[in-house]
Amino acid sequence: MAIKLFKKAALKKWVDSLIAGGRVFGVQAKGERFAFGPLEKAADLRLDYDVTILPPKKYLQPQTEDLVKFSKGGGYESVIDSEPFVLLGVHPYDMAAINQMDAIFLKDGEVDTHYKARREAATIVACDVESPSENVFAGCMGTAVVDKGYDVLVTAVDGGYVVETASPRGEKLLAAAGEVPDASKKDMKKRKAVQEKNRKRLRKHELKGEPLGLPCLLGKSENHPVWEEKARLCYSCGSCNLVCPTCYCFDVQDDTDWTLESGRRYRVWDACLLADFAAVAGGHNFRKERAARFRHRYYRKGKYIPEKIGEIACVGCGRCITACTAKIANPVEVYNRLTEGC
Amino acid sequence: MGDNGKDIYLPAAAEVVRVEQMTKQEKFFEFRLASGKPLGHMPGQFAEVSLPGIGEAPISISSSPTSGDTFEMVVRQVGNVSGAMHRLEPGDEVGVRGPFGTTFPVDGELKGRDLLFICGGIGLVPVRSAINYVLDKRGDYGKVTVLFGAKTPGDRLFVDELAALDGREDVEFLETVDDTCGEKWNACVGVITMLFEKIEVSPESTTSIICGPPVMYKFAIMGLHEMGFTDDRIYVSLERRMKCGVGKCGHCQINGLYTCQDGPVFRYSDVAEVREAI
Amino acid sequence: MSKPRLAIFDFACCEGCQLQIVNLEEEILDLISLVDPVEWREAISDQSDTYDIAIVEGSITRPEDEERVKKIRERSKVLIALGACAAIGGVNKLKNNFDMDDVKKCVYGKDADLPHLNTAMTKAVDEVVPVDFYVHGCPIDRDEFKHVVKSVALGKKPNIPVYPVCVECKLRENVCRYEFNELCLGPITRAGCGARCPSNGSWCFGCRGLAPDPNVDAAKEVMDKYKKTVDDLRDRILLFNSKQEHADV
Repeated sequence: MAIKLFKKAALKKWVDSLIAGGRVFGVQAKGERFAFGPLEKAADLRLDYDVTILPPKKYLQPQTEDLVKFSKGGGYESVIDSEPFVLLGVHPYDMAAINQMDAIFLKDGEVDTHYKARREAATIVACDVESPSENVFAGCMGTAVVDKGYDVLVTAVDGGYVVETASPRGEKLLAAAGEVPDASKKDMKKRKAVQEKNRKRLRKHELKGEPLGLPCLLGKSENHPVWEEKARLCYSCGSCNLVCPTCYCFDVQDDTDWTLESGRRYRVWDACLLADFAAVAGGHNFRKERAARFRHRYYRKGKYIPEKIGEIACVGCGRCITACTAKIANPVEVYNRLTEGC
Repeated sequence: MGDNGKDIYLPAAAEVVRVEQMTKQEKFFEFRLASGKPLGHMPGQFAEVSLPGIGEAPISISSSPTSGDTFEMVVRQVGNVSGAMHRLEPGDEVGVRGPFGTTFPVDGELKGRDLLFICGGIGLVPVRSAINYVLDKRGDYGKVTVLFGAKTPGDRLFVDELAALDGREDVEFLETVDDTCGEKWNACVGVITMLFEKIEVSPESTTSIICGPPVMYKFAIMGLHEMGFTDDRIYVSLERRMKCGVGKCGHCQINGLYTCQDGPVFRYSDVAEVREAI
Repeated sequence: MSKPRLAIFDFACCEGCQLQIVNLEEEILDLISLVDPVEWREAISDQSDTYDIAIVEGSITRPEDEERVKKIRERSKVLIALGACAAIGGVNKLKNNFDMDDVKKCVYGKDADLPHLNTAMTKAVDEVVPVDFYVHGCPIDRDEFKHVVKSVALGKKPNIPVYPVCVECKLRENVCRYEFNELCLGPITRAGCGARCPSNGSWCFGCRGLAPDPNVDAAKEVMDKYKKTVDDLRDRILLFNSKQEHADV
């Protein structure tokens, strides 16, 4: 696989050529914040962003996504979106989260065909973090740097961008750039320095203890007072879930056109903090206490999903900390409280 | 499991063969897959039944796989899908995904054992699949005891089959209602655990199967403990919001367990310490 | 099967929610493919004594209105409360914070005692007659209205969110209004509008009413974190949610 050094202008030219060649989603400014969106020109791309409001998972599991359509006489038909696209500027912690989504939707139990089609349609250009966000703690979670899942990795270094391809698909993408010089040993050293620095500086909150100790820690913390204390101020608004790159729970609903006979069945992001998440049709709510829902989320991140896929399902992006209006959703704060005991 | 290119959310068509009003709130349905093939379920499993525009809901399968190529369900009218199902007539079509979930181990460790079935209300629906399976292979099992509790005499399901159970020499059948509501009633009145003192079962040779409303499990299990049952000799079938049926959507989780895949049938010793289970 | 007969009635309101139905434009033809409008003052001149679905817009503010809405209820199989005024009383309930005589004098001055200007405490429709379904908001969201009508026609309960507006704000990737140092009612307001106001640069006014079981205690405590006071919160809640359950902060 190739490792090149792009000057700023060359990178811009390359991105513009990608835009000319197909669908490209990239990080852009949204007011004072950042968001992934359809990229119209390379000049709008902001690889120096800190964190996006929503993670890039929205292109692999969109907020609402048609699963099947139905019509009178036609029965049910799968709706599969496999139109290729390029995702530009995925930070390592978000890449780590996508790798976990792959484990859930592609490897654990039955394959989710809808996720699979989008995942296979995606060419992912990851990029090392240039500007740490106010709440990032990826350094504590081992996700400040990522080594798999992407097709291309871009790292801003002094004097340009080190661009490494990691798959045939990435090679193909890079081919659009034309002649670009190889990165020198010196450039590679610079990249390594950036990554080492990120491991250390993406720690706006410091987790006490090792992430892999979380399942064990949670195993003995079910009755810890922190759940009630924090949940007292919980709006049950699901913001922490909805901005989370490793949350993937969904609801399924039907919608029809005016004939009432044709329509679609779609999934929409759901959130385990919402009041009726575990309520059944008969009305019984199996998780009706705020504290029980609050606890469930931290157990899912730190115990249930790790027991399923072998990785802690918190990548330290810090989005939940920012998104929580009541400021109760800092996982580091919660887990540290457990570490400290009562 | 794995990737066979199949869309796990795509329902198969099934036709309504028979509909019967069972109680005021519950209707009985018999379905046949349009493919003509049997559903391929085992007792205790459920399927996702859907109606276009209305939605999808998890429904227990009530028939035994030994009863032919059709499958049966009993549905209480509580939500959108069940409400729309109550308007179905023979010949109508529904979408079906499944079967999903774990089964009562009728071909495994229940073989040769004495069986104690404890069913409250519509908890009888999934357990009926196991009872009928056992009765169809009666020689494979020891003593069979069935306890059934309903709110009122009018809420009793499968009344003909309950009468048949009552009449069988090789089954001990006892039932109770919470309230007679002024109706004629010759059997017991009170909660289902009252029946425990009227039966003779050996906890060593018996395995118990429980399914009922959420409040029933705790008391039934306490009663079984008093009789000397150990947790590994108790099976429970649990209800949750199994929205996708394939362990993805997250709604049916009981702590770390997925009811749609790790359940709905659990060996009680596997969930006794699981906080959200019972 | 013949189409259900639909009638639309207005009580104390600005009739802006009915206007939203008119604003369906060509989709009105789709609507009338499902239902047969037999009485609808903003759109047709007919009147009718029988109907299957009654849509009631506006709140109940006079004794004679109570009688009228009771008669509408008697004649309809399904009754839908349309818009904030009908669903929760909305802005009209502001006056319930005051003495009725003062209210009349403040609004009508020397004419306050004229009989046709009589007024009483504002009631939401469901404080007078049972309501089957609600289309919340000021004004209503057209997509939600369509969803409710189609659901009624399909015989299913419409899917009206019980969660707060924050959910839809996040789905739309809005920057939280609290980050702009604004007091937004999104965290305690029932969603379903698609977070319309925050998506267009404003805080949530709470027009869809409080979400069921809103964490108002949290809202009060959270004010401090954003340099706001409980009085600020109360003022904001009063506009659409005066005299609502949980709204007394």
